[in-house]
Amino acid sequence: MNLRSLTIGIGSGLLAIPIVGFLLQGLSQLDPAIFFAWDFYAEVVVKGLLQGVMYALVALGFVLIFKASSIFNFAQGAMVLFAALAMVGFMEWGVHWIPAFLLAGVVMVLVAFLIEKVVLRPMVNQPHIILFMATIGIFFVLDGVGQTIWGSNVKALDIGISRQPIVAFQGSLLPNGMYLDPTELVAAVVGALMVALLAVLFQYTKVGRALRAVADDHQAALSVGIPLKTIWAIVWSVAGIVALVAGVMWGSSLGVQFSLSLIALKALPVLILGGFTSIPGAIIGGLIVGAGEQVGEVFLGPLVGGAIQDWFAYMLAMLFLLFRPQGLFGEKIIERV
Amino acid sequence: MTETAAPATAEANPMAPPERRFGAPMLTVDSISLSFGGVKALTNISFDILEHEIRAIIGPNGAGKTSMLNVINGFYHPQEGTITYKGNVRSAMRPHMAAAQGIARTFQNVALFKGMSTLDNIMTGRILKMHNVRAPETGVWGLDHVLSFGAGALDFVTQCLYWGPNEKEEIRQRTYCEEIIDFLEIQDIRKTPVGRLPYGLQKRVELARALAMEPELLLLDEPMAGMNVEEKEDMSRFILDVNDEFGMTIALIEHDMGVVMDISDRVVVLDYGRKLADGTPDEVRSDQGVIDAYLGVAH
Amino acid sequence: MADASALDTFPKLMRHNAQVRGGRPAMREKSLGIWQTWTWSEAQEEVKAFAMGLRALGIKRGDKVLIVGDNRPKLYWTMVTAQAIGAVPVPVYQDSVAKEMAYVVDHAGARVAVVEDQEQVDKLLEIRDDVPSLETIIYQDDRGLRHYTQPFLKNYPAVLDAGRAVLAKEPGSYDREVDAAKGADDSIMLYTSGTTGKPKGVVLTFDNVLSMAKAGVEFEKLTDKEEVLAYLPMAWVGDHVFSFGQSYVAGFCVSCPESGATVMHDLRELGPTYFFAPPRIFENLLTSVTIRMQDASRFKQRWFKYFLDLAKRVGEKILNGEAVSPGDRIKYRLGEFFVYGPLKNVLGFTRIRLAYTAGEAIGPEIFQFYRSLGINLKQLYGSTEASVFVTIQPNGEIRADTVGKAIPGVELKLADDGEVLFRSPGVFKEYFKNPEATADTKTADGWVHTGDAGMMTSEGHLRIIDRAKDVGKLNDGSLFAPKFLENKLKFYPNIKEAVAFGHQRDYVTAFINLDQEAMGSWAERNNVSYASYQELAGNPRVREIIEGHIREVNADLAKDPQMAPTQIRRFLILHKELDADDGELTRTRKVRRSTILERYEPLITALYDGSDQVHIETQVTFEDGREGVLKADLEIVDLSQNQSRKEAA
Repeated sequence: MNLRSLTIGIGSGLLAIPIVGFLLQGLSQLDPAIFFAWDFYAEVVVKGLLQGVMYALVALGFVLIFKASSIFNFAQGAMVLFAALAMVGFMEWGVHWIPAFLLAGVVMVLVAFLIEKVVLRPMVNQPHIILFMATIGIFFVLDGVGQTIWGSNVKALDIGISRQPIVAFQGSLLPNGMYLDPTELVAAVVGALMVALLAVLFQYTKVGRALRAVADDHQAALSVGIPLKTIWAIVWSVAGIVALVAGVMWGSSLGVQFSLSLIALKALPVLILGGFTSIPGAIIGGLIVGAGEQVGEVFLGPLVGGAIQDWFAYMLAMLFLLFRPQGLFGEKIIERV
Repeated sequence: MTETAAPATAEANPMAPPERRFGAPMLTVDSISLSFGGVKALTNISFDILEHEIRAIIGPNGAGKTSMLNVINGFYHPQEGTITYKGNVRSAMRPHMAAAQGIARTFQNVALFKGMSTLDNIMTGRILKMHNVRAPETGVWGLDHVLSFGAGALDFVTQCLYWGPNEKEEIRQRTYCEEIIDFLEIQDIRKTPVGRLPYGLQKRVELARALAMEPELLLLDEPMAGMNVEEKEDMSRFILDVNDEFGMTIALIEHDMGVVMDISDRVVVLDYGRKLADGTPDEVRSDQGVIDAYLGVAH
Repeated sequence: MADASALDTFPKLMRHNAQVRGGRPAMREKSLGIWQTWTWSEAQEEVKAFAMGLRALGIKRGDKVLIVGDNRPKLYWTMVTAQAIGAVPVPVYQDSVAKEMAYVVDHAGARVAVVEDQEQVDKLLEIRDDVPSLETIIYQDDRGLRHYTQPFLKNYPAVLDAGRAVLAKEPGSYDREVDAAKGADDSIMLYTSGTTGKPKGVVLTFDNVLSMAKAGVEFEKLTDKEEVLAYLPMAWVGDHVFSFGQSYVAGFCVSCPESGATVMHDLRELGPTYFFAPPRIFENLLTSVTIRMQDASRFKQRWFKYFLDLAKRVGEKILNGEAVSPGDRIKYRLGEFFVYGPLKNVLGFTRIRLAYTAGEAIGPEIFQFYRSLGINLKQLYGSTEASVFVTIQPNGEIRADTVGKAIPGVELKLADDGEVLFRSPGVFKEYFKNPEATADTKTADGWVHTGDAGMMTSEGHLRIIDRAKDVGKLNDGSLFAPKFLENKLKFYPNIKEAVAFGHQRDYVTAFINLDQEAMGSWAERNNVSYASYQELAGNPRVREIIEGHIREVNADLAKDPQMAPTQIRRFLILHKELDADDGELTRTRKVRRSTILERYEPLITALYDGSDQVHIETQVTFEDGREGVLKADLEIVDLSQNQSRKEAA
């Protein structure tokens, strides 16, 4: 992945959206029921992009584990829910949200160690599909344990972000400004930070090099003295912390409830778009899915009777699977003869 | 400007004539037996490897050569017998601990990180040499793992906070790897993903990665398998140079007798998991048992 | 330039550069993956010490210093070091086998050899008993040499240390040595590889090399900001002038690649501004680009093709400063951003201001490809005996089939038989210890016989057409240059080999060999089935294609009054590929004319007796070594109808 393809990726995404918009503007001439104006369009796009960051936060966890062990971690969604539940649990004991967050982080690290010891270690050198099945098991266990401990009713997660929409970009171009959800804004900032941090971790640190080595070849990694188990524990811990961040963000906007574990499903098309092994890919994929489905919902939705948001991302993913199965930034799939 | 010097593991020996000075036994294998579900792979094998020597383990296919290497390296745990390495007696160890104690190896089928460049592959060989990352010393899952995990996490944090010293560390490690690249003459493939390299070069990269670990004992599993004559000659030269310039002890497996006899100091011959002969190449070559075992599979 | 006369040797120029641009880089070398740089003053210090070290080893004025190895800064410095103490450097091709090296060492009487590494040391040790003059071998890379105990082997740093000790005692000694030399002294001896007989040692004086290096620098306005990658053999005169002579004159930095195998990577990293490569390298680069594009997505391929076609149409015009429509100009800019720029970057040509090619004919397609990308690629003509430069294509007057005009200071003339003669300040002093050969090549009044046949175009450009000894005459007296015609034909991808006849004949005829790969892929695309080369060669549609190529060549020849008589009148497509195993080609794939004349005599007769068809039986050697007889009936194509058009032209 280089700067060039990154630019082209972002560029084409940003270009595609106005093109859709332009077409819609044309459509609006035909049907006055569809309202189109540039400022409204911009607001929808920005809202979509922010939503996209939220998707990307979940997708990041998948990418991490996939990169390090080529396992599609079905339990990532459950980890998001579990982490959010843990944090809310601590807060219900009267702990301030910051220490509660840290404590939940510790819980996630412990969970990672447990998973490594109980599930992964006995399965060294097993085919990937077996490990994938194991993660399905982890999904149910986490889900069950979480709800057993903390109950299954919807809980609010308040970390002090105002619910009042913020009016931004007010100016000559946008006389009314733009209404933005503060939670989503915070999520965007946090998401950007996470990506930067993880990119540094993978690209420039020894741990990162070891992670990549383990992902590539277990036997070779062992022979150069990389302790496989430690590396796995680290990866799962990092994935756990990413899940916690995603859980906090989603939890504070939707409330902490079982459906949180299902947002993992939304991360799937994001991954297909961005590529399973690329951290920036997760973000770009998230942005495209988020913006695309918002624009589709608002402008195309009325034409087809709505609910575009439910299937748009999957359609997009299917198109990608047809034409670019490795995703925008994924490693090219080279067939060995 | 710096003169290109060989990586200084052992200090350069003076202009001494090329006679080999063997030291004490570095590794002694004593009565090792290994079986898989009742099938005996190795039966009562004993031999030793002296410091600074090139020790070959040869035998026909299926003789148990790779099993022997896997036992030394900790991939397999023998049911009987002991291994004495640098004075410590043990019955088994884990691969990453073997690596930490100075045993590096290459594999018969090349175990490289296919997606990484040649340079990155060699750099992974330096992982244990970088400060902060430490491998757990014991096989028991517990405190030591937590410590090594903590070290890893600490490393990550320090790397984020103090960029400078780490950069220096990175340059130091990179320089070491570059010297190996120079030594093995693979400058032109430095940035090439190893998955795209021809087999002969992959074997060379694997050797480079093993050398980057600065091992005391280098285990080579069929370093010349699948190579053409020219590549075999190159590889032989590199093995001899490594032994000569770095003073490294080398144990290698081959099933092609020709080349091995030329470059090794002593040879162990295995057949059906048993030791058939042990001695200098000349002694082994004239051994009747060896001649019989190799009859029909001679090269 | 008041003190120009004082700068008449390279050691003096180096001292000058160390004074006026001491802090600027003089040389770079990629070592351990990193570019190491030496400034002019650092280089000067090292040369000083090494010079005194060599002198301490007993090297005197007039001694010969053998230099063997890849392009390395220390070896370049060895040249100037030797010159500083009045010795003459003799660089030798690093891939010479021991026997060839023995001849040079012995002939030159070299007393000391400065070599790169163990490989070269081993070669010299092997021949040492046969070359009594060689006293000392100095090596720069001690890898693998630790166990070599011979006393006459010296490590470079040791010699350097000895030299520093001398300098400490007598600080002025180096300058005294340098001042003792003058421009007319011998500066270097280069052995020509010599296709026939023993190599000859071409002696060039400082005046020779400096005058031509300066002429080139002024002609192309080179400055001390140029970047040059020195990757061609140091023993070749071109490298000596481009990477050594001109660097000292203009003061630019020369970089050495990490190893022979990394040249392409290093080229890309360095991005030279001034670059020389033989046509073969440009050809290989283009092939690698084409292959990579074949693996790209269809969209990219189309994109690539669109902009390359645009470049083909307008690129050269833009480079030559001709008028181009604003629309095309904008599109070319876009192309630069999306295609040409990245492509040049991949090739390492982003910063190229001036590129030369020479040595053999370059395909016009290849030549134009690079020029259309905006790379100022030019052809030049030169030789060792000329200190390289004879002609260069001036900017804006670039033709694919000429080698340009004589550069200032060079006089050109053509002998009656078409041989090119030149006279210039760069003309060599002599062939070492070979007065007969010197007299054969250089006339008393300084004209040098090149052995190449050429002609002047109407614009005053020189066009090299063949080796002089291969040029014949048609019966009507016009010059017939077979290789010129054959090259023109071979530039078509469908034609692998061509042999033209015409000496002492009325008109020109030719044998054509198909390129089985190119024609085969055409056959595949056009559903033409064939079982063997012979069958493909006999296909009438194939014949039509080849006929089309030949008509194009003829039309091109017709434009030039000197060449018009040598249009190809009749041709046939050979039923077998010319093969080195049958003695028809040399091992380096050059046509053996005499063998072909003999083997295919009936075919040649048929080409000239007016028949349309000819039967031939040929003895062939198959790949497994068996011999057999190949029988075929060949069609002869007559292009006489073209004649009328020619006369019209």
